Amino acid sequence: MDALGALLLAAGLSGYVVAAAAGLLTARRGAIAVTLSFGLGAMAAASVGAAAMVSLLTHSAGNDATLQLLPTMIPSLRFSIRLDPLGAFFAVIVSLVALALSIYSVGYARHYVGRKNVGILGAFFNLLLLATTLVFLADNVFFFLLAWEIMALSAYCLVSFEHEVDEARSAGVLYFVMSHIGTGCLILGFFLLSQAAGAYNFASFHALGEKMAAGPRNAAFLLFLAGFGIKAGIVPVHVWLPAAHPVAPSNVSALMSGVLIKTGIYGLARVLFDFMGTPPNWWGVTVLALGTVSAVLGVLYALMEHDLKRLLAYHSVENIGIILMGLGASLMFLHTGHKALAALALAAGLYHTINHAVFKALLFLGAGAVLQSTGTRNMEEMGGLIRRLPRTAFFFLVGAVAISALPPLNGFVSEWLTYQALLRGFDATPSLFRLMFPLAGAMLALTGALAAACFVKAFGITFLAQPRSEAAARAHEVGPAMLIGQGILAGACVLLGLFPVAFLTLLDPVIAQLAGHPLAAELSLAGGLVLSSGAAGPGTVSTLGILMTGVALLSLPLAWRLVHARREQTRTGPTWDCGLAGLTPRMEYTATGFSKPIRMIFKALFRPHREVQREYDFSPYFAKTLRFESHTEEIFQTRIYRPLHGFVLRFSRRLRALQAGSLQAYLMYVFAMLLGLLLFAL
Amino acid sequence: MTAPAASSAIAAQLIALFAVLMLVLQLLLVGQRMLLTSIRLFALQSLFLAGIAAVIAFFHGAFHVFVVAVLTVAGKVLFLPWLLDRQVRRMRIGQEIEPLLNFPTSMVVCAALTLFGYILARPFTALERLGNNTLAVAMALVLTGIFLMFNRRKAITQVLAWLTVENGVMLAAVALTTYGMPLVVELGIFFDVIVAVMVLGILVYRIRDTFASMDTSKLRQLKG
Repeated sequence: MDALGALLLAAGLSGYVVAAAAGLLTARRGAIAVTLSFGLGAMAAASVGAAAMVSLLTHSAGNDATLQLLPTMIPSLRFSIRLDPLGAFFAVIVSLVALALSIYSVGYARHYVGRKNVGILGAFFNLLLLATTLVFLADNVFFFLLAWEIMALSAYCLVSFEHEVDEARSAGVLYFVMSHIGTGCLILGFFLLSQAAGAYNFASFHALGEKMAAGPRNAAFLLFLAGFGIKAGIVPVHVWLPAAHPVAPSNVSALMSGVLIKTGIYGLARVLFDFMGTPPNWWGVTVLALGTVSAVLGVLYALMEHDLKRLLAYHSVENIGIILMGLGASLMFLHTGHKALAALALAAGLYHTINHAVFKALLFLGAGAVLQSTGTRNMEEMGGLIRRLPRTAFFFLVGAVAISALPPLNGFVSEWLTYQALLRGFDATPSLFRLMFPLAGAMLALTGALAAACFVKAFGITFLAQPRSEAAARAHEVGPAMLIGQGILAGACVLLGLFPVAFLTLLDPVIAQLAGHPLAAELSLAGGLVLSSGAAGPGTVSTLGILMTGVALLSLPLAWRLVHARREQTRTGPTWDCGLAGLTPRMEYTATGFSKPIRMIFKALFRPHREVQREYDFSPYFAKTLRFESHTEEIFQTRIYRPLHGFVLRFSRRLRALQAGSLQAYLMYVFAMLLGLLLFAL
Repeated sequence: MTAPAASSAIAAQLIALFAVLMLVLQLLLVGQRMLLTSIRLFALQSLFLAGIAAVIAFFHGAFHVFVVAVLTVAGKVLFLPWLLDRQVRRMRIGQEIEPLLNFPTSMVVCAALTLFGYILARPFTALERLGNNTLAVAMALVLTGIFLMFNRRKAITQVLAWLTVENGVMLAAVALTTYGMPLVVELGIFFDVIVAVMVLGILVYRIRDTFASMDTSKLRQLKG
């Protein structure tokens, strides 16, 4: 890396620190704190992003830039960072999203001024950005874990930012506990690795798995899968995600959903592809299966939600699943030695990683704008917002199209690549495991369809029709900073969708590093305008072409109308109301009603419960009042976590007998333990 | 016998003598009923520890161990006993120590613990360069010290017991590594001890304020 890159990086990283400090110092004057800390944060993000981009573009193999950030006196804790392609790629993701979020936050955090300490919000937000960037760049185990824990702690503080709300506190604690368990797994995993390597820096871990015995190697795999899986939100350890993301301030939700959970993906990619060597088959099978389950269950639970932010949080579980399908398939191909296919599947997974970061952050920002102007997260109280927040509605629609994997936006491209990898995998591998691929592909198709249904619901109920509440009727468009933030991400969605080959060229060093097979040249047809799925594959697609065709086809009826405009008469009248006296919002389709068919089809999973009570005088057909109650069961909560919770509580109650409150007894415990250990050592 | 060998034999004899005296003082502490006398016994024990350090420093020409000896005299023989003494007098607490187990039983337990210390140290005798079971004595000091800690009720006697444990640890450090630990580490431990005793002193004061007694078994009432 040249001097300019290093300078930009150092400036950016210290920029985050300055931004955090500025927030704290000006905390008493809320509006200034908001502008200063988020404005500086945006500049820092731009700087880090530029440095990472430069390093990704000018990268040459075996020439990773390393940088010592701070001097240290503690042995083996070195604050050194390394900009290798994988780290730089994720740094680009975090910086891109951070730039948009910081600009958005300049407007968004205003509504906290006077109510809450916005200086703290800005400080922890920038700290979280710094720690996340360092997680991606850290070059040794201790620095990585340090950054990882700072990230977890600052995220905890942000989740419980509105700590006067019970929900926020309990979600914060849940996140804290699960994150801690994950970190425990990571520490053990890294312990196994460093024991095998005899060192602590990541460079010495490269392809270490080849040298490890099968036992510790598999143990390390499981530990990392659990540790990073909790952070990524894989089913069944996803429960913290739909609890924590909705209650955080919306800019934080966007950051957590867009970037924070990607640290889990980064960790898995780093460990499984960089450190572990050629994987055994069952690793890939496990990851692929977990990904498939996460994708399907995530979208199904999302469909049942009518809390807009919880819905989006469940979609994160789904998308993490899709990313893992790519990574899992890639691992299976690496096992069988199909490097080109492994590269394709990995590219699909990593492409979906940046796509999800962009569109999920965009959707959360839209939800934040809606939340700020209506004051509710419940979709059943929204409606008609497209007239009141037209620009936000447009950006939300872009995000919704992207996440539903509709062409020509970015979600489509990465899911298309995933399909291609999965479908071609069936021909490539001889063993029975190849059945996994079409199955996963079918599940991906189901996921895509359900996601589209879910966003028809989310967009339709939130933005279309008439307002369902006073608050929704009084809503108005948000300020320019918040719109610019959303606009940047919407633009990124469009660009990533229309120019996939250009992006894959950027991704190429990462693929070459992890799968050992550069890919971009193979996938580019017609000078980069058409995306193919590789040399032997039949699939080609061009999002730009789809867009052109769409525009051309759409212009036909328009042209027709222009030509015949004079002959036709336009008459405006009220919507037909079945002869009733006017349409009211109470007649609108509800979110619950919309998702009912799916609730019925997947009855076994949701265990829906509904209760109708009617009061009437002489005939049940003329009810005076009607009370309707319907809810679904979250099987993971009721079947796994609640029993576990109960067990832990009962066990601790037993243990409390030990805590007698007597100093002498405590000393006795220590003494007994000491004697026991000494006897054991004899 | 050459001169160096003779001098190191004298050194070994002296060290063994001092170590045994430390152990004897520890057993006296276990049997002691008067608080102020206990403090003096501890001061004497620390003096012997300083003596061991001085012997090592003198016969092996290790200057930094000499620093340790001086610091031990200054801190554990003079300063800490003075501090504890002042505290006892200022708080006007009863002189009587009330152990949980009675004295004969305590003595038997301590004898058993000393024996256990010797058994524990046996595998290390080859490593031990000072010879003559210094490590065993150190082990015995640590074990009986901890026993002393939970066998006493008054907070200040627990502090005293903890200090004897610390003496044992110091002795073990000296015994296992000929010239003691690196000076930095020793200095660190030393200041830890002094600060800890001061904090404990304040804590003891608070306990007395809250419960009008120094009996730590009354802390039980804090439990919700």
